[in-house]
Amino acid sequence: MASAPPPSPVPSGRRPSPRIAQYKRTWFFLRRNTLALVGLGILIFLIAVALYALTLPIPWNQMDGYCGVHLPGCTYVCTTPPSPPGPNCYAVNQNFPAFIPPTLSAAGGTLTAGQLPLGSLSQTPYSQIYYNTLSGILRGADWSLVIAFSIVVSGALIGLMVGAIAGFWGGAVDEALMRLVDIFLSIPVILFVIITVSVFSQFTIPGLSPFSSRMLLLILAFIVVWWPFYARIVRGQVLVVREQKYVEAARASGARKGRIVARHVIPNSVYPVFIQMSLDVGTVPLLVGALAFLGFNLFGLSSSEVLPEWGSLSAFSVNQFDAVFGACSVGVCVIPWWQILFPGLMLFLFAISVNFFADGLRDALDPRLRR
Amino acid sequence: MRMWVYVVRRVALLAPVVIGVMTITFLLVTALGPVQQLESAFGPPPIHGTIHSYNPTIPCSEITPGANGTCANPLWNELAPKLGLNQPVFVQWGFYIYRSFTFQWGTVSNYSETQTPLSAYIHGQPVSTVLAQLLPYTLELAIFSLIIILAVAVPLGNLSAVYRNRPVDQASRVMSFSGFALPAFLLATFLVLAVVLVLGTSTLVHTPWCPGGETSYSEITGSWPTPLGCGAPGGGGPISNFYYPAWLTFGVVSHPTGFPTVDAMIHGNWWLAFDTILRMVLPAIVIAFGSIAILLRFVRNSMLEVMNLDFVRTARAKGVPESTVVKRHAGRNSLNVTITVLGLTFAFFIGGFPIIEDVFQLNGVGYILALSVLPGQEDFALIFGSTLLFTFLVVAANIIVDVLYAYLDPRVRLG
Repeated sequence: MASAPPPSPVPSGRRPSPRIAQYKRTWFFLRRNTLALVGLGILIFLIAVALYALTLPIPWNQMDGYCGVHLPGCTYVCTTPPSPPGPNCYAVNQNFPAFIPPTLSAAGGTLTAGQLPLGSLSQTPYSQIYYNTLSGILRGADWSLVIAFSIVVSGALIGLMVGAIAGFWGGAVDEALMRLVDIFLSIPVILFVIITVSVFSQFTIPGLSPFSSRMLLLILAFIVVWWPFYARIVRGQVLVVREQKYVEAARASGARKGRIVARHVIPNSVYPVFIQMSLDVGTVPLLVGALAFLGFNLFGLSSSEVLPEWGSLSAFSVNQFDAVFGACSVGVCVIPWWQILFPGLMLFLFAISVNFFADGLRDALDPRLRR
Repeated sequence: MRMWVYVVRRVALLAPVVIGVMTITFLLVTALGPVQQLESAFGPPPIHGTIHSYNPTIPCSEITPGANGTCANPLWNELAPKLGLNQPVFVQWGFYIYRSFTFQWGTVSNYSETQTPLSAYIHGQPVSTVLAQLLPYTLELAIFSLIIILAVAVPLGNLSAVYRNRPVDQASRVMSFSGFALPAFLLATFLVLAVVLVLGTSTLVHTPWCPGGETSYSEITGSWPTPLGCGAPGGGGPISNFYYPAWLTFGVVSHPTGFPTVDAMIHGNWWLAFDTILRMVLPAIVIAFGSIAILLRFVRNSMLEVMNLDFVRTARAKGVPESTVVKRHAGRNSLNVTITVLGLTFAFFIGGFPIIEDVFQLNGVGYILALSVLPGQEDFALIFGSTLLFTFLVVAANIIVDVLYAYLDPRVRLG
C-alpha cells in the first residue's frame, strides 16, 4: 500500500456526525491493511457457509451419517432408504473400513457408493458409524459461530457494565468488583468450565432436553469466567474517560450518573472491547475443542454421537489417533489424515481470520500502533 | 518501602483472592450434594448388600440388620460432622476453607476403569499426596517450556522490532498468528503424526532396554518407556526386557525428589534421563507455541515504544554500537513487559497442561485431571483438588512476577 500520499480519511463536503466520521476513519485505515481484509473476507465466507448450512435438509444438530443396517447406537437414519444407493445414503459393508478417503474430484458431481467428497469421520477404523466430513464441517459453521458469538457478546456486555460501574463509581464499589475480577482471573478458564460442567451436568433444566440444558450450561459457564477480562479492560478505559472535559460538562449540565455512564462514558471506552471481542470469537471454538478433546460428556450425547461443531469434530477425530496408530503398527496402515485435517483446517481458518481482522482493527483504532 | 514489606503486602492482598476461589469451588461442591461430598472426602462408602450407606435417607434397618429403628445412617452420623454437613451453610463454608488451606482435599476414589499404571498407583490415596507426587513432573515440563518460550519469544520479539516490517518481522507475525489459531491438541497430534511418519517404526533412539527398537509412537508419548513390550501400543513388537528400576514406583512416581530427570541423574541412569528429556521436547514445544504467540507481540510492541525514547537516542548519539543499544538499553527495559505478560498469561499457560499431558500421556497433574473427568468415572475430589492446585500455582506465579517486577523496576515499590 506504499503509493501516493493517502487521501484524507474524512471526505470533504458535508461533514458527518462525529461518531459516523469515526467509523469512516476506522474503515479507511482498515481498508489499507491487506491481512485484515483477507481475514474479513474469510470471516464473511464462513458466515455465509453457516447461513447456507441452515438450508440443508439434515436436522441442524446432526450430520449426514452413514450407518450399517443392524447397528445399535446408530442415531441417524439415512434420509433416503439404503436401497438403491443415493447421494445421501449407502448400504454399508460390514467388513468395509469406515475410513473413506476424500474423493475431491467428484465433489459436486455424482458419487458412486462409498465415495465422499471430503471423506468420512469415524470413531475407529472399522466402526460402523461414520459421518460425512463435508456435511459435518458445514453444520459446524452454525454451532461454532453460535457458541462463540453468544459467549463473547454476553461476556462483553456484562464486563462492559461491571467495568463501567467500577471505573466510574470508584471507591469501595471499585475495590469489591475488582477483587471479584481478580478471583475469576486466577482460575484457568478451562478448569473453571470443567468443574462447572461436570458438577451441573447431573442436573437437567426442567423443560429442556439434556442436550439443550448441557449446551446452555456450557455457554453460561464460559460467560461466568469470561466477563472479568472485559471488566478489567473497560475499567482501565473508563478511568481515563471520566476525567475528560465532556464528562465534566455533562455533569455540570446536571446529567444524572446513569445517563453520563450510558451516553458518554461507555460509548467512548468501547473500542478496546471491540478489539478484544474480535480476538475472543476466534479463541472460544478452540477452547470448546480442547474441552471436547478431554473426553468428558460436554453435550450429553452418547459415545457414538458427535456434535457437529468444529472443535468437537476435530477433537473427535484426533481422539481416535491412538486406535489408528495401534492398527497401523499391526500392519493395516490407514492414517486418515483427512478427518483430522479438514475440521482442524476450518477451526484454524476461523481463528486465524478472526485474528487477522482483530489485528487490523487494533491498528485502525489505536493511532499509536499505526504505521 | 523495603523489599520484604512489599512482598508481605502482596501476599496479604492475594489472600482474599485465594479465599474467593475457594468460595467458588465451595459453591460448586455444595451443588454436588452431601453424599457426593462424603464420597469425595472419605472415598467410596462400604457397601451393605446393594446399598451405599453414606445416604442419610436410607433407614438404618436396611443397612445393618438388627439395629434399632431410631438410628439414622451410621456412616452419615459419624462422618457428616467431620465436614460440618450437619451445620448451617456458612459453617460448612468455614470447614471447607479450613480443609482447603490444610490440604485435606479428600480421597481418590476408584474412579478409573481404564487401567493405567497411574490409576493403579493412586487409587485410594489422599488427593493432596497424589497431586504432590505428580506435581514435580508438571513443574519440570513447565520450566522446560518456559525456557523455550523465553529463548524464542524475547530474541524474536527484539529482532522483529529492530527489523520492523522486514521478513523477520513478517515471519514472526505469521508464527504468532498461528500460535493463536492452532488448538494445542491439533498441533500435538500433527507433530506426533509427523514424527511417526518420518521415523516410521525405526528407532528414535536406540534404547538399550529395547534392542529391536520401539515404535516411534511409544517413544514420543508417555513419561517413561512403556514396560508392556517394545511394540506397544498395538502389542506387535517383541516382549520387552525392560523393567522399571526400584526408584520408579509403578513407572509413575520417581524417588527421591520426584523430578524425573533429576532422579534418573541421581541414580546414574543417564539413558533414562536422556529419554525423559527427549519425551518432554514435543509437549514443551506445543505448550510454548501458544504462549510465544502472545509474548512475541508484547515484546515487539514494547521494544518499539522503548526504541523511540530519549535515552535510546542519547545512547545512539554517544556512539554506542547498535547491538549494545538493542541489548543493553532497550532490551533491558522491555524485560518488564515480558515478565508482566508472563504473569498475566500464566493462567492460560497452566490451563493447557491437562490437554497436552493427555495427548502425550505424561504422568503429571494435568493427566490425572483429564482422567478424572471421563463420563461415568468422574472423581470430584481429584477435579476440585487439581483446580485448587492450579489456582495456587497461578497465585504463586503472580506473587513471583510482582516481586520480580518490583526488583527490576524500583518505581513500583518506592512509588
